[in-house]
This record gives sequence, C-alpha cells and structure tokens, in this order.
Amino acid sequence: MNILEIHDVSAGYGEVQILWGTSIELRDGMLTSLVGSNGAGKTTTLRTIMGLIKPWQGKITFEGNDISHLPAHEKAERGLVLVPEGRQLFTDMTVEENLEMGASPQRARVNYAKNLERVYELFPRLKERRTQKAGTMSGGEQQMLAVARGIMAEPKVLMIDELSLGLAPVLVLGLFGTLRELKKLGITILLVEQNVQMALAVSDYGYVLAEGKVALEGSSRELMKNEDVRAAYLGL
Amino acid sequence: MDLLLASLVDGFLLGFIYGIAAMGLTLIWGVMNVINLSHGPIIALGMFTTYLLFMSLGIPPYIGVLLAAVIGLILGVIIYLIAVQRVIDAPHLSSLLATFAVNMIIIGIGTAIFTTSPRNVDFRLGALTLGSITLQYTRIIAALIAILVTGGLYYFLYRTRLGKYIRAVANNRSAAELVGIPSNRVVAISFGLGTMLAAIAGALIATFLPFTILAGGTYETKSFVISVLGGLGNPVGALIGGLILGLLEGIIPAFTQTTWVPVIEFVLFVIILLVRPNGLFGAKE
Ligand SMILES: Nc1ncnc2c1ncn2[C@@H]1O[C@H](COP(=O)(O)OP(=O)(O)OP(=O)(O)O)[C@@H](O)[C@H]1O
Ligand SMILES: [Mg+2]
Repeated sequence: MNILEIHDVSAGYGEVQILWGTSIELRDGMLTSLVGSNGAGKTTTLRTIMGLIKPWQGKITFEGNDISHLPAHEKAERGLVLVPEGRQLFTDMTVEENLEMGASPQRARVNYAKNLERVYELFPRLKERRTQKAGTMSGGEQQMLAVARGIMAEPKVLMIDELSLGLAPVLVLGLFGTLRELKKLGITILLVEQNVQMALAVSDYGYVLAEGKVALEGSSRELMKNEDVRAAYLGL
Repeated sequence: MDLLLASLVDGFLLGFIYGIAAMGLTLIWGVMNVINLSHGPIIALGMFTTYLLFMSLGIPPYIGVLLAAVIGLILGVIIYLIAVQRVIDAPHLSSLLATFAVNMIIIGIGTAIFTTSPRNVDFRLGALTLGSITLQYTRIIAALIAILVTGGLYYFLYRTRLGKYIRAVANNRSAAELVGIPSNRVVAISFGLGTMLAAIAGALIATFLPFTILAGGTYETKSFVISVLGGLGNPVGALIGGLILGLLEGIIPAFTQTTWVPVIEFVLFVIILLVRPNGLFGAKE
C-alpha cells in the first residue's frame, strides 16, 4: 500500500516553475530516497508535499485522502512531518522546548514522556544540553535536534531534507543508524541526501530528480547498478 | 526634596503601567513584525470601559479592568482578522497604514460618541503617608496589578503550551507550521494579547488620572519610546524601559515645567535610535 502519493505535481516560486509534473509514491514502512543534483527541485518537492508551497497542479494523497490543499500544520497533525533543510530550529528556545514543540500534534502529546525518553536514548548529547538555547549549539548538535524534533511528532511519514549536510563522518554514520531504527518502528521515510551512495545503501527504493521531473526510479539495488547513476552521482 | 521623592515614587509606580502598555506593542512586533498604530485608541477604550462601567453601573474600577482586558483581547483578534491578517507579509508600510486606519476609525467613532471633553473616574481610596511623602492608594494598587499582569504574562509565555506556541511562532513561523502549530490562529491570539495589555494599561491609568478619548495617543507614543529604549520585541526590556520613563517623568518636573516632558522623551528617543538602535537591552533577532 502507498501511504503517500504525489501525482503529476507542478509548483514553483512566483512566476518561476520548478516542478514539472513530479510523481512519487511512498510504500508503507519503506525507506525511499530522493536524489538529484543541486537545484534539481528536491527541497521544492518536499516543501510542496508539506504545503509550504501551494501546488499549481496535480494531487497529493496521504493515507488515501486528498491533502493537496491542507495547510502544513494540519498535515503535521495527521502524521506527515518534515525535517527541513537548514534545520529551522526554534533558536531562542531551549533544546527541550524544541522537542516539546515537536510534539504539538495531538497523537504525539499523549506519548510525550515516552517519546522524549526514546529521543534522549538515540541522542544522549541532547539530554546533556536540554536547557541550552538551541541556537547556541554546534551544527552537528542542531542537526540531531532537528531530527529529534521530527521524531517527537510521532510521524507516520518522516521526510528529511539533507540528513548529513555539514556533519562529521562519525555523526553521519550515527544518523543513518538512527534511520534504520526508525524504520524498524514502522515509520515510512523519504530521505533527501547529498551522499547518494549512503542514501541508496540504506533505502529500499529511490527516485532521481532532474530539472523538476523524475528522471529515473527503481529499487535502490537497481539504481546502484545503473550506469548513469554511477557516473553522475556515485563518481564511478 | 520630599516633593521630588514623592514625584519619583509616583513616576516609578506609573512606570509599571507604561511597561505593560509597551509590552503589548513589543509583543505584537515580536510575533508578527507589525507596528500597531491602533494601540493608543485601545488604551483609550480601556479607560472608557472602566469609566462607563463605574459611572453608569457602579461597577468597581478594578472589576472594570478585568472587563477591559476581555474587551481588549476580543477587539484585538477582530482587528487582526479584518485589518492585519491580509497585509502581514506585505511591506511594513501596508500594515502601518492598515492599523492607522483602524486607529482613525476608533478615534472617529469615539469622538462622535464621547466628544473630546475630559473625564475622570470619580473614585478615591485615600492616600498612604510614609514619613513626609503621601502616595495615592489608587496608584499603588494600579502598579501592583501591573506587576501581577507582567508576572502572569511571563508565566503564560514560558509555562503554558499556548504561550510556548506564541514564542515558537515569533521565533520561526514556518518551522512552527511544520511541527503542527496552527500559526495563523496563534498570531491572531498574540495580537489580541497585545491589545489586551493596552486596554489593561488604559483601564489602570483611568483609576487615577483624567483622560479624553484622544489620550491614548500620548501613551502610544510613550510605548514607542519605551519599546525602542528596551529593544523592540523584548518584553523584559519593555518593563525596564517603562520604569525608566516613569522615573524620568518623576524627575523632570523638579527641574522644569511638565510641558517639557514629551520634548525630553523624544530627544531621548532620537538619541537612542542614533546610538543604540537595538535598545539598551537588545532587540529581537
Ligand atoms: N524561495 C525561492 N524563490 C525562488 N526560487 C527558488 C526559491 N527556492 C529555490 N528556488 C529555485 O528553485 C530551484 C530548485 O531549488 P531546490 O531548493 O528545490 O533544489 P534542491 O534540489 O533542493 O537543491 P540542493 O541540492 O542544492 O538543496 C533552484 O533553481 C532554486 O534557485
Ligand atoms: Mg535542497
């Protein structure tokens, strides 16, 4: 079953069209990667799915319901959550307040204590820093907090834009480990990632986006064998 | 000497009320980057609420303050939904003009109904004598209420879910949407809280000073001076700025005529803009 479907979506900024009929499907419980060169429209795709940008055309369905025109906060309430590019933390608020804000959806509030414990287990560093202002943390710590805040929302679908950007290799490995854990919990994940090799290694399925359209899709194993992908993204 | 001391303490007490009026202005700026030019008329409406309830129904002024708060909150949400929401992402000039229009409408209707003749709530509680200085109880109680309101506001913003939502939206509105916070509703409520503080300030001032329907304008400009002094978007700064202005107003009459008060305040305003544009205690962002 597909938990999230994007049918033939067009969108852009002002007069400038960026997405030209993009279609993506997320299978329930799977980890899907969305890769593509800089400026291909990956972030725009996620922002359109989330409702931060209104789709010009096309349809977005979540659990079978048309959510194309819902505001972002209602999508989050339903379990569609984005960890945005550039983290977008509440920099003036403490680490724990950020996590509390992450748990705004009704479902997440009920299990707040349990989820907080789980997140602190995944990221012990955040527990040490719980009373620190988010804006004063290091880049890596902020990235952990961005992911942790997303988990606090108890997502059914978690979309992550640039998981590893600017992070030390050890941290990147840790975060990819976290993705596997989240998948085990049954969360469907859509991952946008610069490190195509790692992204395809953890994911079940992948899409290659080019100039606002899906250029290629397939199981991650197929994509890793594909000559074009190897040449363009894996440097092989 | 005693006169100066009494005037200083009077100014200090008034400063707490200036503080909450300025907090209202600065809260709205902090959340939505809008300068609310209808702040003054709402202060005046707060004054008239207490006045009318007391003069026509005999309702005690301190209960009038409570009702003024409720009216200020509701009116603010309505003003936001009708006049501000649409222009919130437009350049500042649009929201300035929109709130200025609201200002003109309220003043216009108010003048038509109440005329601009001075009023005062005919209400006395006597005075407290401390050594050689006397302080009106009405001022003391008003300051205490203002302190309570300030404490309440802090409790609300830092300890309650809705209060934290307001801080989250002020900090990063699109991130707030992403975590499931209905930001438009939160912004509307913030505007209402800002005007609620204005109405409370007006209602408190009316318990010990005379006023007209136009009086809000003076207090609005004082709120600007205070907000800039304390750093726009910084509520603690607003409180301290209010106290500074109150003390200044207590001192100035000792040296010169009170007609110089606004001149000196605005010279201060310009100096701060030139020397410390982010205020003494730092602005938001
Ligand atoms: N706010 C904006 N206004 C106008 N154009 C924008 C805006 N944001 C992005 N664009 C343009 O849209 C195109 C796609 O950008 P997008 O951020 O979706 O790419 P991306 O695939 O996420 O790239 P990257 O890998 O660099 O993050 C780019 O050409 C970009 O310049
Ligand atoms: Mg991007």
